[in-house]
Amino acid sequence: MENSISSTPASRITAERRGRRLHRVKKIILDLLKHCLIIGVGLFFALPLLWMVATSFKADRDVFHIPLRLLPYVNTLVNVNGQQLPLYDVTIDNQTRQLALLKLEASNGDFVDPRDPTQTFPNVRMKFAEPIMRVGFRWQNYVDAMNYNPRSGLGVTIWTYLRNSLVICLFGIIGTVASCAVVAYGFARISFPGRDLLFILVMGTIMLPFQAVMIPQYVFFNDFLHWGNTLLPLIVPTFFANAYDIFLLRQFYRTIPEELCDAARIDGASEFDIFARVVLPLSRPALAVVAITTFLFHWNDFQAPLIYLTSPQNFTMALGLADFQGQRQILWNMLMAASVVFTVPIIIGFFFAQKQFIQGIKLTGIKE
Amino acid sequence: MSASPAARIERAYNPFTWSKRTRRNFRLGMLFLSPWLVGFLVFTLYPMVASLIYSFNDFSFHQALRWVGLKNYIALFQDKYFWIALANTAYMVIIGVPLILMFSFSCAALLNIKVPGQSIYRVVYYIPAIVPTIASTLLWIWVLNPQSGLLNTALGYVGIDGPNWLRDPNWSKPALLMLALWGTGNTMIIYLSGLQDVPVHLLEAAELDGANWWQRMRHVTVPMVSPITVYNLIIGMIVMFQYFAQAYVFSRVSSANYAGTSPVGQPLNSTLFYSIYLYQNGFQFLKMGYASAMAWILFLVILACTVLSLRVSERYTYYSG
Repeated sequence: MENSISSTPASRITAERRGRRLHRVKKIILDLLKHCLIIGVGLFFALPLLWMVATSFKADRDVFHIPLRLLPYVNTLVNVNGQQLPLYDVTIDNQTRQLALLKLEASNGDFVDPRDPTQTFPNVRMKFAEPIMRVGFRWQNYVDAMNYNPRSGLGVTIWTYLRNSLVICLFGIIGTVASCAVVAYGFARISFPGRDLLFILVMGTIMLPFQAVMIPQYVFFNDFLHWGNTLLPLIVPTFFANAYDIFLLRQFYRTIPEELCDAARIDGASEFDIFARVVLPLSRPALAVVAITTFLFHWNDFQAPLIYLTSPQNFTMALGLADFQGQRQILWNMLMAASVVFTVPIIIGFFFAQKQFIQGIKLTGIKE
Repeated sequence: MSASPAARIERAYNPFTWSKRTRRNFRLGMLFLSPWLVGFLVFTLYPMVASLIYSFNDFSFHQALRWVGLKNYIALFQDKYFWIALANTAYMVIIGVPLILMFSFSCAALLNIKVPGQSIYRVVYYIPAIVPTIASTLLWIWVLNPQSGLLNTALGYVGIDGPNWLRDPNWSKPALLMLALWGTGNTMIIYLSGLQDVPVHLLEAAELDGANWWQRMRHVTVPMVSPITVYNLIIGMIVMFQYFAQAYVFSRVSSANYAGTSPVGQPLNSTLFYSIYLYQNGFQFLKMGYASAMAWILFLVILACTVLSLRVSERYTYYSG
């Protein structure tokens, strides 16, 4: 390199340098473009979520504020005689002053001057008062959303929906993990005639849409077992294994060395002992993946709860939220607060078990 | 040993010729498989047969079956809404699925570029996929709000007067597709893992031969991930044929001012998808025989599409090893 440069004319050297600089500039521009693209697409993914959180903290009148503000605003409070009162811009006789609201009655309010608490302005029409807002989070939305009772008289709140969803998820996980762990072992480790044909049948059921079996299942649970409007039709089928998780666990079992099982077999262990004492303890990571995808599935599930659960006491989170939205007046801040409550457990779970989430998708990303 | 394959298969499946060990293994296997076997019989095979029978009957909740032969199928083919629902679903499968695949692949390619903060971008791109369907649908209804929504405000900044996404029949399906793109993290992750498995030496060899970025993408990367594309395509189709929850929640908002009409499928039946119409027939109009006929047609269509895409893809897919 050194040699070649010293042996070339000076003009060549500058041309080469210029070329190299041009190349570097091109690379910087390209890098910049890449970054812009990555960030731009990132905004598409991130902004709606941020907006969900922001809306959940907004005051009612701030929700539809035009122009749109990303951050939530709350009424500024001011201390008057040891009381926290909301501050307003009040126009009286063409003069605007900053006054604190003492008492609100229908469309009139009693105001007080925070600098001179003796000076009060009773019975001011509220349309002449504009609240003074500052950036702040209205946590009260969450309290209100959790206790919101869209169907009066039933005593049903988001807490009821949360409890029902958790019950289904818990039993769903127990049922799915227990049944799929056993069945997958049969497919992975016991060789018997017809096994491979049966496995093709298992995988074939993935193609079967829920809608194709929905009506007879509904009739079976409702008319035959009389389980209509209970959580049972959503829980019981999980104890009979499903194709995705059988497949996932079978793939995992096949990576466990056969020698381990043979050693146990020589020691006189039965097939069930080998399964329970050798294979299962080694399969904890895969079982965790199954548990997580099962939780996600039932937490998300909408159509099955929709057909089976008819009274709000039995609604799941998904049904309850849809019901919340079905009301005439949509309270967006409360609806978004409830949606955050619905979403946060999963996001927290994701940060604790990222690896299992990703593995679950790669193997059964299909379970939606 | 020298028996013909057919004879060997016959022996393998004839229990009388099994050895003691084979018989023991068979019993053991059946024992381990029993939860699935029972589940298959009760929750899959029986419902399949039952819905086939229902489809040839007039049948409603709490009522006896009444045989009507092919009446349900004939009525379906003359039903305007059946064709509308089929066309809407075809839109989502034919336009939606390839769009989702291309978008997911592009995002995965972006996430595969080595930049500072790469792992943070991966999380940001992925997170919407784990937001529960109903929560993300409600969120998007809010994002698409024509006056105070995020999207139309953003479009307003660049001088575009955004449409009324939820109430305009021309924009309701694109709006749903946007929602689908937003939550496409799973497909993206599957593509990303595929991109990471593309052998570096192939890309380097192509670069040495003078292939530019686009050529490397077109002739090395895309063929190398083609098995993943087939997988994503088939799963995407199966999911799209069953598209339900998002459309169900979406149309309830847009139907708020269509008092008196059925709340689903609005505006103007533009979101009347196959599964929605099936649900409506079965559980709102209580025409369960009719709905069962729809269910069987859906199953056959999914089966046909899956087999077809497997057949076609065999020719274009590269499988290494």
